[in-house]
Amino acid sequence: MKIENRRSAQIVALQHRCGFYASQRDLVDLLVPMVGAALTRGSTVALAVAPETADAVEEALGPAPQLVRLSEPGPGCHSGQTLAARRARELRELTALHGPITMIAQHRSELDGADGAFWTELDAAYGIALADMPVELTCFYPELPLHQSILDGARHTHPMLLVGGDPVENPEHMSPRSVLAEYPAPSPALLGAPDLQIEFGAWQLNEVRDELERALLSAGYGRTRAEDFVLAVNEIATNAVEHGSPDARLYVWLDGDGVTEGAVCEVHDRGTLRDPLPGLAAPHSAEPRGRGVWIARQICESLHVWSDKSGTHVRLHAGRPV
Amino acid sequence: MTRTVEDMASFDSTVRHACAVAVSDEHLWELSSAFLSAGLAAGDQVKYFDDGTSDRVLERMFDDGVDIDASLASGQLEVVPPEATRAAILTPIDVMRGLVDELIEDALAEGYSGVRWTGQLSHALNRPAGMLDYELMLDAAVAGRPARVLCLYDRAHYPDDVIEDMRRGHRVEIETTTVYDDNLLRITSTGIGSARLAGEVDHSNRPQVRKLLLAELDRALRSPTGPHEIRLDVSSLRFIDVAGAVGLVHAAEEFPSSHKLVLDGVRPRVARVLDRCGAPFASQLMTIPRPDRPIPSTAGADE
Repeated sequence: MKIENRRSAQIVALQHRCGFYASQRDLVDLLVPMVGAALTRGSTVALAVAPETADAVEEALGPAPQLVRLSEPGPGCHSGQTLAARRARELRELTALHGPITMIAQHRSELDGADGAFWTELDAAYGIALADMPVELTCFYPELPLHQSILDGARHTHPMLLVGGDPVENPEHMSPRSVLAEYPAPSPALLGAPDLQIEFGAWQLNEVRDELERALLSAGYGRTRAEDFVLAVNEIATNAVEHGSPDARLYVWLDGDGVTEGAVCEVHDRGTLRDPLPGLAAPHSAEPRGRGVWIARQICESLHVWSDKSGTHVRLHAGRPV
Repeated sequence: MTRTVEDMASFDSTVRHACAVAVSDEHLWELSSAFLSAGLAAGDQVKYFDDGTSDRVLERMFDDGVDIDASLASGQLEVVPPEATRAAILTPIDVMRGLVDELIEDALAEGYSGVRWTGQLSHALNRPAGMLDYELMLDAAVAGRPARVLCLYDRAHYPDDVIEDMRRGHRVEIETTTVYDDNLLRITSTGIGSARLAGEVDHSNRPQVRKLLLAELDRALRSPTGPHEIRLDVSSLRFIDVAGAVGLVHAAEEFPSSHKLVLDGVRPRVARVLDRCGAPFASQLMTIPRPDRPIPSTAGADE
């Protein structure tokens, strides 16, 4: 007797592609048939593109309930990993409701920062944060961006390239972590003198929590929000003294960073990161470690990790006082 | 002088005046609350002489199940404000004796079965005459009368040599058993398979909780009549970090299927961390919430 194995393992994983366009018009011409085909297949399409692009696609295809616009990044968005974490949350909700998602992303020059490193960080972070999600993500970049490094990064972060409308394997693709070793996450703009500065070791985490909580309550945060943000900072501070250096430092600014309102904290230690972008992948229930940073990312308005010769640094935004 | 060591439960008709030495803040709130709460239950009038610590003592009494708002409203429980506490402490000894007599008579006149008090009396360190004459006066004042006094000493408020002098100056010392206390987290045993956590669980003391759970589970499994629930009273647990919460969830999931972990009195702050760490999906973990009590606005007023 022949035993036939009829099980087929459907691998749920991110398909991450990169496409290029010559002009805004060219992009819309590429997108309209692509989005139309996905909608016809019954797939939900999530757009993370410039509003004028989304308008043009909608106008060409007519209104469709399966065509969803993801949230706008906003002017204070300097952290690719934060945007990737936010997109992961949005997509997790969408996939739970609608199943597999086709996502279209477009380069936005207003997020370039000083050198466009934002985009490499964002795509590398997508590779981690969306890795196990049923998402087909195509990122469109201009053929001639202001910063050449944007294209260099895009050639390494995408496993597939869109050539003449067809996905082909990208021989230059590197794993997100190797990309980040070569193109490290950028450091954010320096802030002025902090309102509060605490040096701490593993036995002083409670003092860090107490001082921060008092400062947040006095800055107008409600008890629940203050407690949650203190938990986020506690997790980062715990990592700093557990994996980093025995002495670490916390800086607190209560009045925002000049762009975004609300408290900002930075935790610095002298250690090196084993994982350049920790806490992006949803933790596995059997894995006791790595959950702290993931939860901190869920709590914070933004959480940006970067490292340099002096050690590991994390900036956390609490968001506006509520 | 003969000295005896008693536990709080034996603070009965024979003991009028005792001392206790707290090893930590949590221990101090525990001792204060146990003494005051027992007084409320016995129908005594109960007074706490405050000097910046009453919020924490009242919070602990709430954790211990006392309806403090009702007790304060009825006057059975009174918090003597810090200025009045300090003034009373600096009163000359013969005047103070009169005040103690008055305290007892007033309580009886109001229909209470007696009176008891404790408090944060470290201002007595500023008395030129020292503190021993006060203890001797108290011994005489409360002897044979329906009054009980617990003198509390802790290392944060009193120098070590004073604590030793005070221990020698009291006929009775109240002792409590401690499983673990690092001045941030305090663990006490409350029977086979049950324990109480007070304070905060973080990176510095997390392994202690795991150790406790394993030990309690072992005790419960070895005892033929042992409970099938390992019960942790967490009503005084103010903070737990993510790894601590994950540890509780995992410990419960690793229990034999016959056993459950019950967290009793979970505060909202602790509940939110547990929720984020998968507690709602752990079939062998049960959580019972503690009603939330707004933190009094006077917290931190002594800074």
